[in-house]
Amino acid sequence: MAEVILNQVGKTYPNGYQAIPAIDLHIADGEFIVLVGPSGCGKSTLLRMVAGLESISSGELLINNQRMNEKEPAERDIAMVFQNYALYPHMTVFDNMAYGLRNRGASKDEIQRKVSDSARLLGLTDLLERKPKQLSGGQRQRVAMGRAMVRHPQAFLFDEPLSNLDAKLRVQMRVEIRQLQRQLGTTTLYVTHDQVEAMTLADRLVVLNKGHAEQIGSPLELYERPATTFVAEFIGSPSMNLLPVSITDQGLQLTEQVSLQADTKERGAVIWGIRPEHLQPCSESEADFALQVKAVEALGAESLIYGHTAGRSELLVVRAPGPFTPAIDQMLYLRAPQQQWHLFDINTQQRI
Amino acid sequence: MIERRPWLTLFSHCILILGIIAVALPIWVALVASTHPAEAFKQGVIPLWFGDQGWITWKKVLFSAAGNGVDVPVWLMMINSLVMALAIALGKIAISILSAYAIVFFRFPLRMLCFWIIFMTLMLPVEVRIVPTYKVVADLSLLNSYTGLALPLIASATATFLFRQCFLTIPGELVEAARIDGAGPWRFFKDILLPLSRTNIAALFVILFIYGWNQYLWPLLITTDDHYYTLVMSIKRMVSVAEGDIAWNSIMATTILAMLPPVLVVVGMQKLFVKGLVDTEK
Repeated sequence: MAEVILNQVGKTYPNGYQAIPAIDLHIADGEFIVLVGPSGCGKSTLLRMVAGLESISSGELLINNQRMNEKEPAERDIAMVFQNYALYPHMTVFDNMAYGLRNRGASKDEIQRKVSDSARLLGLTDLLERKPKQLSGGQRQRVAMGRAMVRHPQAFLFDEPLSNLDAKLRVQMRVEIRQLQRQLGTTTLYVTHDQVEAMTLADRLVVLNKGHAEQIGSPLELYERPATTFVAEFIGSPSMNLLPVSITDQGLQLTEQVSLQADTKERGAVIWGIRPEHLQPCSESEADFALQVKAVEALGAESLIYGHTAGRSELLVVRAPGPFTPAIDQMLYLRAPQQQWHLFDINTQQRI
Repeated sequence: MIERRPWLTLFSHCILILGIIAVALPIWVALVASTHPAEAFKQGVIPLWFGDQGWITWKKVLFSAAGNGVDVPVWLMMINSLVMALAIALGKIAISILSAYAIVFFRFPLRMLCFWIIFMTLMLPVEVRIVPTYKVVADLSLLNSYTGLALPLIASATATFLFRQCFLTIPGELVEAARIDGAGPWRFFKDILLPLSRTNIAALFVILFIYGWNQYLWPLLITTDDHYYTLVMSIKRMVSVAEGDIAWNSIMATTILAMLPPVLVVVGMQKLFVKGLVDTEK
């Protein structure tokens, strides 16, 4: 249990490719941090640098106020859960969990006690004598977690641990991981590309894009006030509607014909963003603009309606609660409440 | 594949039975011949059923002297062969598993060059380098010794290559998990690599044991003391007597005995051997 501090940590590969320019991150004791981003954004590299599996090219990594840059992975007192679990195939579940303790010279009694404690916590007690081959995906996942927990490390590192599970199990394990982490109070760094996983697990989220931290904050903070268009698009499903528009004295010019009233001092070209759930279907008289329906996805609890507004080519998404199935090519009248708008600078992509 | 074609089944069985007869008949003849007196062969008729001399011939061959210019009993030669075959098989496995370990899991300068140099020794079997190797062994006064019999044959590119391929299939995460679990290079080798290549080791052991057992040219060259004669080379010695009768019964008995250890190794390790060739445990 410890603070993990990254000071201007960067990674440049020997071939000159700069995967991560410099990242500052202060992870408090017991905090659950999720690194999220599209593939190739450097999130796994960052995690592996904290683990000690990749060298740190610049900056400094502190765990528990000790510099860790030059330390071997085993000396950092961290535990990692891999995407493919990386269980030792020839060892039983017990031996898999005990291996790290044995290598650290723990006594037999201590190993026995710690392994059975962790096994009980994870519901693995009956499986201790099995080999990984004889376990289901979810059970293997649990053994991988058990192997991490049993040493009571300073920090847990998760590298997309749920991507090999089917959808139902993923949801179940997600809840379990969160509960376990709360229960143990261990500082956790978790990598995923799945934004739902990120939103539900994190105390704080780090959205990475090309090695930069686009925004760091709580899930709701990122949802409500995305700092850049990248975060706005990445967080939330379906993505936020983003349209380049211009704001004049008449208001926000959605198209040449349609302008929305805008109480802002901003003028000129901006990117206008609004989440699908904030576009509200309404009657023609109250409407801010109309959408010609192109496709409808009725999911039961909600419906996603895709369509164009006259004079623009971008496809907009509306998320309406309940079963709601307007006909294709029908006009759908929408309200876009101004307090739900997000405006971004058209050049820097930063929030205004 | 399940097919019901009785004629095809019959036909394939015939082929298989013919094959078995072709392979097994000489062994049968050898076994039968070892129980007849030495002269039985000279009459030009090959006996197909056991004679009455079996006990005498086998006892003589095994415990007093093999005969025809070979004055040591077969049991001693069996031990010689066994020592050589085991030393070659185990030595080859030990040295090639270590070199494959170094080549796959460690990053050192000229790593690939080392690999290709090892690989190139495939082109240099004993027969090609026999004169210089003999010189080296003679200079080290290893003639007429077990070390001299086994050592020059131990380096193996094939086994190194096989272990390398096996190690390359071990996922990188497994290595990393072991590093995080605090396993140093030696522990990783002992606790993870060795158990994971268990079946490959067994398969290689079978192949290499037979290779070592069947060595002919090299033992023939470096042993002059008949206490170091190996079984396979002695059979040749027994056949090529300058004068007098060839004791075919003794030779056949020796041949059967020479076949036994490799057969036992293959039968005993068959399961592991097959697993090692097809298994993907990782």
